[in-house]
Amino acid sequence: MSLPPQTDWRASIERRLTGTREFVDDTDPEALAAVLVSMGSLLAAFVGFLLASPWTAVPFGAFLIATGYGWARHQALVARAVTFAMTTVTLVTLGLIVVFIFAESVPAFRYETASAFGVSVPGLGMFTQARWDAVSDPVRYSLLPMIHGTVMVTAIATLVAAPLGVAAALFIAEIAPPRVRELVKPGIEVLAGIPSIVYGFIGFTVINPWASGAFALNGGSTYLFVGMVVGLMALPTVVSVAEDALTSVPDVMKNGSLALGATDWQSMTSITLPAAFSGVSAAVLLGVGRAIGETMAATVMLAGIPRISEPLVNVFYGYETLTSLIARGYGSANGVHESALFAAGVVLFVTVLCLSVGSQYIEARMRRRLGGVE
Amino acid sequence: MSRATQTALVRDDRTLYEAAAGTAVGLAGVAFAAGLAALLGVVAIDDPVVGFELSVVFGAVLLALGVAVVGFGMASRLGYVDAAPQPSAGIVAAAAFTGIWVAVGAIVSGAVGLGTGGRLGVGVVSGGIAFAATALPREDIGSTVPAGTVTVLCGLSLVTGVVGPGWEQVLVGYNATLFGDTVVPAIVLFASLVSGWSAAKAYGGFGARGRNVGAYVLIYLVVCSILAVLVGLVAFVTVKGLPGLFNGFGVGSAALISWPFLTNGAGLLADIAGVFPALVGTVWLVIGAVLFAVPTGVGAAVFLSEYAEQGRFTAAVEVATNGLWSTPSIVFGLFGAAFLIPRFGNQKSLIAGMLTLGFMLLPLVLITSREAILAVPDEYRDASAALGVSKWQTIRSVVLPAAIPGVTTGVILGVGRIAGETAPILLTMGGGVLPAKSAAPDVLGSFQLSASPPFVSNPALLEATSALPYQLYALITAGLSGNIQNPQEYAWGLALTLLLVVLAFYAIGIATRYYFRRKLHQ
Amino acid sequence: MSQTDTAETAENAETAATATNRTDSHGVSTTAGETVEETRPEWTSYEAGGETKLAVDDLDVHYGDDHALKGVSMDVPERSVTALIGPSGCGKSTFLRCLNRMNDRIRAASVDGTVEVDGENIYQDGVDLVELRKRVGMVFQSPNPFPKSIRENVSYGPRKHGDIETGLLAKLTGRAEPDREEALVERSLQRAALWDEVNDRLEDNALGLSGGQQQRLCIARCLAVDPEVILMDEPASALDPIATSKIEDLIEDLARDYTVVVVTHSMQQAARVSDQTAVFLTGGELVEYDDTEKIFENPESQRVEDYISGKFG
Repeated sequence: MSLPPQTDWRASIERRLTGTREFVDDTDPEALAAVLVSMGSLLAAFVGFLLASPWTAVPFGAFLIATGYGWARHQALVARAVTFAMTTVTLVTLGLIVVFIFAESVPAFRYETASAFGVSVPGLGMFTQARWDAVSDPVRYSLLPMIHGTVMVTAIATLVAAPLGVAAALFIAEIAPPRVRELVKPGIEVLAGIPSIVYGFIGFTVINPWASGAFALNGGSTYLFVGMVVGLMALPTVVSVAEDALTSVPDVMKNGSLALGATDWQSMTSITLPAAFSGVSAAVLLGVGRAIGETMAATVMLAGIPRISEPLVNVFYGYETLTSLIARGYGSANGVHESALFAAGVVLFVTVLCLSVGSQYIEARMRRRLGGVE
Repeated sequence: MSRATQTALVRDDRTLYEAAAGTAVGLAGVAFAAGLAALLGVVAIDDPVVGFELSVVFGAVLLALGVAVVGFGMASRLGYVDAAPQPSAGIVAAAAFTGIWVAVGAIVSGAVGLGTGGRLGVGVVSGGIAFAATALPREDIGSTVPAGTVTVLCGLSLVTGVVGPGWEQVLVGYNATLFGDTVVPAIVLFASLVSGWSAAKAYGGFGARGRNVGAYVLIYLVVCSILAVLVGLVAFVTVKGLPGLFNGFGVGSAALISWPFLTNGAGLLADIAGVFPALVGTVWLVIGAVLFAVPTGVGAAVFLSEYAEQGRFTAAVEVATNGLWSTPSIVFGLFGAAFLIPRFGNQKSLIAGMLTLGFMLLPLVLITSREAILAVPDEYRDASAALGVSKWQTIRSVVLPAAIPGVTTGVILGVGRIAGETAPILLTMGGGVLPAKSAAPDVLGSFQLSASPPFVSNPALLEATSALPYQLYALITAGLSGNIQNPQEYAWGLALTLLLVVLAFYAIGIATRYYFRRKLHQ
Repeated sequence: MSQTDTAETAENAETAATATNRTDSHGVSTTAGETVEETRPEWTSYEAGGETKLAVDDLDVHYGDDHALKGVSMDVPERSVTALIGPSGCGKSTFLRCLNRMNDRIRAASVDGTVEVDGENIYQDGVDLVELRKRVGMVFQSPNPFPKSIRENVSYGPRKHGDIETGLLAKLTGRAEPDREEALVERSLQRAALWDEVNDRLEDNALGLSGGQQQRLCIARCLAVDPEVILMDEPASALDPIATSKIEDLIEDLARDYTVVVVTHSMQQAARVSDQTAVFLTGGELVEYDDTEKIFENPESQRVEDYISGKFG
């Protein structure tokens, strides 16, 4: 949508005003009042809650009373207003997350100000040196060790989840006979349901000791096995999103390929997968996002030392990821240290949000392209 | 248009060849499974099998597989069987074998004692040869000879004992050592995979059909492994957890059933420590999250799909919803800690945990409800509107009832997901490691009225409370020790309880879906 | 499936109204066919001239409990156009899909009886589906080009069968034969009467073509594999009258080299393009099979006559 010129803009406002006036004229004044009171008190309650006022209960009570009254007398209008308010909750939540996490991380970003080309940039120090030490001097809060850990875990997890996930999605969408599909699909869903702390528990009590013996390690924490466990946890996301993309390719296309004498596998690799390519890559992106954000297995299985492994690609060390840093450190930390944990949260949040928006863009593009066919 | 060559519609009898190739695939499968068993320590590689060490037997099997695979290719190339190979094995196979042979060349030359430069050189040369051997000849040679020779090489290394029990290699600088116990199974897994794929192609007679068979073998293997991991995980936790879960379980005493693990706390007074407070905490947590998220999510879905015009607002909500869906749970935890805790008495509390999980549940409910509502055919709405029914009446009496199956399923599966979440409640709800029975929240009995704002209060909601996943985490960080009889058994029982609670939600959700689907089809 | 069929009945009626209406003269009005008559074997034991290409014997198809085709037997002669007509749900599309085993895709379907292509039963063990579908090509109801370039659409089949190689590897090893591919694409497109319209934009995405062009591209794609039989499932039902007439001309032309079996809803179309016509009526029975002229002028069966004159179906 391009921005309309200013005259259009004025006209549009005028149109809106007229529309509103007509709406007000057409609506029962009592219903209008009920809705206005209800929405106004909801807004007041929200503001009160933001200010942590003990009086929040008053407008909230008013909201309940006004809505209840309106619901009994003018259900249609009130329903519309209430559902609208509910819709804004997602936007408000996202906005609050951004505001609060960023606000809490400000002291840490200030503390880690570093200058680049003569300009001092807050937070730059988190990425230009590699020391995280909240206790002994010099106290520094570099996120690089944890970013390295997250990258290691995510890379290994993606190596596990992406090929296996796409293969399993192909199986469910294209290969499996209906009966087998009805078995495998819920199976993969259940895999998504196993709580991450249970994975972590098994990792901590079984995998870590085993790895310690099998590779003669100092302690059992390794990025290798954390990555594999996290990959297993990201797998269901990849499977279900990729499967949706694959089944959205019209059957007539596959039939066209089969009728030319191509085998099922050829039809999959030359028709279905290319047509669903965007959707499948979106699935992998979302899987990567899950792997980045996975917390408990990493927290429980990793050693908890904020250090970069040497050599960089040494998968037999397992120090710390962004998520495990927060989970382990929160509660005992305070002041700038706590704020630095929020900074780690900001890095996580922004990365995963970018992945999410990116995958949505890719999926939308695919829908448009395939939409031209059907 | 005349055809130069007329291929037979019905393939010639290749029974013997197919049987041989099929046997090879089966043998590779057995070798793969045995290799997996050896890796997991079910069998040891120096166990004697028919008078030889298992490792040597593995080597012999791989040798046989490798020779057989080369033989399949030769038989087809020399025209002994009626196969339909394409002119080349293809770019994917060529790239894969190049990579494999670069690695093989580098490892072998390293074992002989060459330096980095020598290893690189040998690797590149062997990779180049493998590329030529895969890409240039006809498919039946290109996809068997490189696979067969690498399998033979693996087999030789095991048969001759170059790699075997007691073998070890220190990875200098990596602080790790490779032992025969892990490397031998790894070699077996790798070689059986390569030779199995190649034999599967031969089974299908190469060409399009052979590739189909080869790919299917790999995909079936992947799916079977995933299911095996799933079943293995659940079975493992069950076996480990049952003793703890049924510790002191009895039927027919004073109460009809006595199940101390679920009905006791972990205080000093309890003779059998139980998880009652955490169980109750999880139940209240789920109830609170559902009360917040389900009405909000369903209402938003109704507004988005029934009232709102498609535009910037709906697009923004959609992006925000999907963004929230993929936001890491620990970020929700941070948010809850920064936003909710200061507003509920400045300490970790049950209600902060409820709302944090509610925020997490919201996008799940919204997405599934929206899908369910959009799936309601427009004809229903039109039919209702044509009868002069108002929009809201239509939504209430036509759209929502039709969408209920989808919404219910989505909510149940979403609840299953959040019930097992640890990270958010770790930061917002807290609770003790081994809470006594009295620590179980009594939400219903704690409502209090007061004359000063906020007029209604509930101390149970404002206290730090334990929940199943949090308690498991707390036990792990406490080093699986504590003031109870058998902390290990207790922790496994706790893990099983948590798993059962979550899987119960999934089972109910999936069953609901089947129930509604079946009802729909009748 | 029945839903789309009904939708197309209306569409075909429109098409029929605008196109030249040759069958008007055949529309002999008869007394209302209330009597239920049996299907007699002699009505379908039609011997066409020329070599038999496809021989179907006692073909039964079940979809689960649904008996979709009942004991159909017919011989299709070489290098001719055979039309299959009948009301919605009469099993004519099912029958067509049995001829190149596309019914294998539907798991609930079970097929009994024999279908012979050049004397070889395609429902025996060991039949190579790839080879079968190379020989018996198929064009679908709605155009279904692949989301690839026009050139790739045409060369898709030969590439998948290894007849021409275009990949990176083929170029590296010097096996790519661009000239042969070029010739094949041009020949196929010309045979499908599409070359003149697209020869300057072979690299464009095929989804950008009009419906009629897409359908001719699908025919070209089928011809590129050099089939002997071409099955067409209502190839013009999704097209406008002009595109339809182009497809019909093409079908007549193709019959010089290929054996064409075409399912159609439009009796006018059957009358225009086909040499022999098989009439399927509700319940999956083949009621009458004969020269097209005979079917439309003087059918043996009362039910067929009613159907053709528009009293039934």
